[in-house]
Amino acid sequence: MKATANRGVMSIVEGRSLKGRLVLGLFFAILVLTGIIIIFPFFFSFTAGLKNSTEIYRPGVNLWPASPDWGNYVEAWRRFNMTRMFWNTFVVAGGGVLAQLVVSSLAAFFLSRLKPIGSNLVMVLILITMTIPRIAYLVPLYMTLAKLPFINTSLINTFWGLWLPYAVNPFMILVLKNAFDSIPRQIYDAAEVDGATETRIFLQFTIPLSASIMLVLGLLSFIGLWGDFLLPLLVLRDSSMQTVSVRLFNLTRDFPMNLHMAGSFIAMIPPMFAAIFLQRYMKGGLTF
Amino acid sequence: MTTLANPSLDTPSPRPPRSRNFWKKQALSYLVILPTLLIFAVMTFGPILTTIVYSFQEVNLTRASEWVGLHNYVRMFGNPLFYTAWKNIAVFLIISILMGFMVPVFLALMVNELRHFGRFFQTIVYLPSLIPIAVALLVWRQIYAPDGGVLNSLLNSIGLPAQLWLQNPDLAKPAIVVIMTWLGAGGSVLIYLSALQEIPTEIYEAAELDGFSPWQRIWYITLPLISSRMQIMLLLQIIVVGQVFTEPFILTTGGPANSTVTPVLELYRTAFERSDFGLASAWSVSLLVVLSLFSIVYVRLSLGRESIQY
Repeated sequence: MKATANRGVMSIVEGRSLKGRLVLGLFFAILVLTGIIIIFPFFFSFTAGLKNSTEIYRPGVNLWPASPDWGNYVEAWRRFNMTRMFWNTFVVAGGGVLAQLVVSSLAAFFLSRLKPIGSNLVMVLILITMTIPRIAYLVPLYMTLAKLPFINTSLINTFWGLWLPYAVNPFMILVLKNAFDSIPRQIYDAAEVDGATETRIFLQFTIPLSASIMLVLGLLSFIGLWGDFLLPLLVLRDSSMQTVSVRLFNLTRDFPMNLHMAGSFIAMIPPMFAAIFLQRYMKGGLTF
Repeated sequence: MTTLANPSLDTPSPRPPRSRNFWKKQALSYLVILPTLLIFAVMTFGPILTTIVYSFQEVNLTRASEWVGLHNYVRMFGNPLFYTAWKNIAVFLIISILMGFMVPVFLALMVNELRHFGRFFQTIVYLPSLIPIAVALLVWRQIYAPDGGVLNSLLNSIGLPAQLWLQNPDLAKPAIVVIMTWLGAGGSVLIYLSALQEIPTEIYEAAELDGFSPWQRIWYITLPLISSRMQIMLLLQIIVVGQVFTEPFILTTGGPANSTVTPVLELYRTAFERSDFGLASAWSVSLLVVLSLFSIVYVRLSLGRESIQY
């Protein structure tokens, strides 16, 4: 991919002309306005979380509370037991990403390097799963999780009930296969001459050489799984196991709105940090 | 490139003698894919086939299920809600394409022109797609709240009447589409930006020399060059909007007057609130048919490019 050249559609000279400056100024103004609209819900939940219980219901535009009550955040954290919530979400998303990376990298190695007889058929099977959205088989998936075939165990109220379905990520398999395909043939040949087994090649060459793409894929998946709603809602019935999304949704009726907004804002903080970290990898978007 | 380097794997003529070692290697290779195949079988292929089987059964969790032929489908097609739900999806799609499809294209074009702050805006636009959707919706519910909600307060302060955003059948769909655009635009902006940055600057320089104005360059060069991405994004939007669930589930529970009932919402209620798994499976099959049609085209288009959009 070509790095950002020092011009867009307009050349630098055009950008410096009066008309060019006006257009760029207009673009900048539109983007600032869009930025404000995008940030507004974050800002709103932040300040609503600072209001006391009478101020939050007062009509009229008061975006910043008269006397910010920072104690709401402490109280929300404590009363919602957010430590627990965050830990659960971390375990669910982290375990899910780990499962995805293990399953997908093995599958990609199989498709890219081992290529035994019939590997094309495996590829077709993986492509088929890409074309069928999970929502279309949610009901039997839930029933499978409630009663696993052959071993008759229920995964409801266990983290395995999420890790196993999350492990299926055909997109990740394809992206990793492409990454593995781009590893120079000579590296494998040299390793073979040295008598390395496929296991060693996988662990010592393929994985380390694809570490950065696996990191980005893992991060993106982590953010996605961190916010997943429907499957955790079905699988995690026990409130002490619920993730941030499910727990905050269930708590809406039982707590005052200012506490709830404070809790919501806290829940948005970790993804924002992830965004700052991801930014380093977002040079030209997220295309592989 | 890889195919050239290893003729022994790809051109089996003359066919090499297959030693015991060869078969051992084949078997070990399948050992590597075994966990993946097993998980895919239990978590994906099994449920997909079961959906189709269930849609012809009265499913009981405790006793054996009974075959009921087309009964579930008769019930589904006989229910006016079926048509309402799919009509709602069609309207959601039209509104979201009109209101939301071009937004990321414009934003990406503008960000791409800026010499400074481009990365900053990119991060800001992407922020909403990172936060848990359920949490975002809980905040938006307060923004749209009929009395005391920020949006109505803002409208009042500039002299406009307050609206029942999520309680008025005419406004609920656009109000939800605004949230969907807010949530989803960021990811598309990133994809369009990467497409824009792949366009060689020489093309623009040549066009400039030929006297094309910047707007003509956008119309005759930029848009045609990103149109294949736009096609893919359009399909993706159709697939995503087709499965809308969380927004109506949290914000409107399908109301007012069923104006935001969607097939997935009705599927959820049928299965998990009324335990009518057979009927829910018939709904699933209807979703399977519609969504897979678009998904197949989507996967084919994205595989046609050398890179994959994630």
